[in-house]
Amino acid sequence: MGKRARVSCMSKQDSEKFFPILSNSGYSITSPATPEYNCIAWAASDTNTWWEPDPQNLYYWPPEVSRKYTLDSYIKAYEILGYTLCHDANYKSGFEKIAIYVNANGKPTHAARQLNSGTWTSKLGRLEDIEHATLDDISGFHYGSIAVILKKPKKDIF
Amino acid sequence: MKYENLYFERPEDDIDILDFNNTGVSNESSVIYRDYKSSIEHYLLPISRQLENPVIRFLTLKAQWEVETAVLSSATEIAMHPAYQQIIGMGHVAIPLILSEMKRKQGHWFWALKSITGEDPVLLKQRGRIKEMTEAWIRWGKEQGYLV
Repeated sequence: MGKRARVSCMSKQDSEKFFPILSNSGYSITSPATPEYNCIAWAASDTNTWWEPDPQNLYYWPPEVSRKYTLDSYIKAYEILGYTLCHDANYKSGFEKIAIYVNANGKPTHAARQLNSGTWTSKLGRLEDIEHATLDDISGFHYGSIAVILKKPKKDIF
Repeated sequence: MKYENLYFERPEDDIDILDFNNTGVSNESSVIYRDYKSSIEHYLLPISRQLENPVIRFLTLKAQWEVETAVLSSATEIAMHPAYQQIIGMGHVAIPLILSEMKRKQGHWFWALKSITGEDPVLLKQRGRIKEMTEAWIRWGKEQGYLV
């Protein structure tokens, strides 16, 4: 087995260890693992930056938004990009949707972005990006549950 | 010998680790001899004694931290992990180990470095850009003599 295949195999095991539902629901790994961006950035289609409102001011956070780990702060960060609150996660042609997950304390833990196929894409911490069928596939112990859905019109619709 | 060369790199000209006159000793021999010495340490020293070695302690804590925080998307939560906090607790001895690790592989060591050193060489416009942040810290490490 080559090095590349071995890495991929390990990563799939890692993903399924952390998110057991994935192993039954079907998913695919769509990027190499990297610490260069997180799920919050990935949902915003940014693969160069780690987005986080950390108090030490080490990471990027939109300067117009307060640096707080609150759902309100995360919603505002996406609103700057043109997203607005939305009622459901169903796929709607011409719109791009983002889901924000929170833990039991209401603190944001994760964000996923909807793809044209209606499936979702997530960056799992410092691991890979994955494409998963439903938002519930990665909810649970690590990411908690879905708090809000946001949407914005796609740019490439004429 | 600097810690950074102990495990992460194998400089071929590092023959002076031999305990005897190394005249005529090949690089291959020095590598074999070094592995022999580390094997002895591995098998004869109890784990509690091995952890007294800062390199082994750092690598042990790093491995635990990496596995247990792999899916977290908050660097603050990543830095709050007990193993990461113990690395910070190692103080200045951890700096060359962290910087060598950063040279080898990008990672979220910024919190630890800032906490230990009280410094932050990362420019405001570089915040969140992990590659640029890493380069800034490696440059700082070289300027401060932690890295060659």
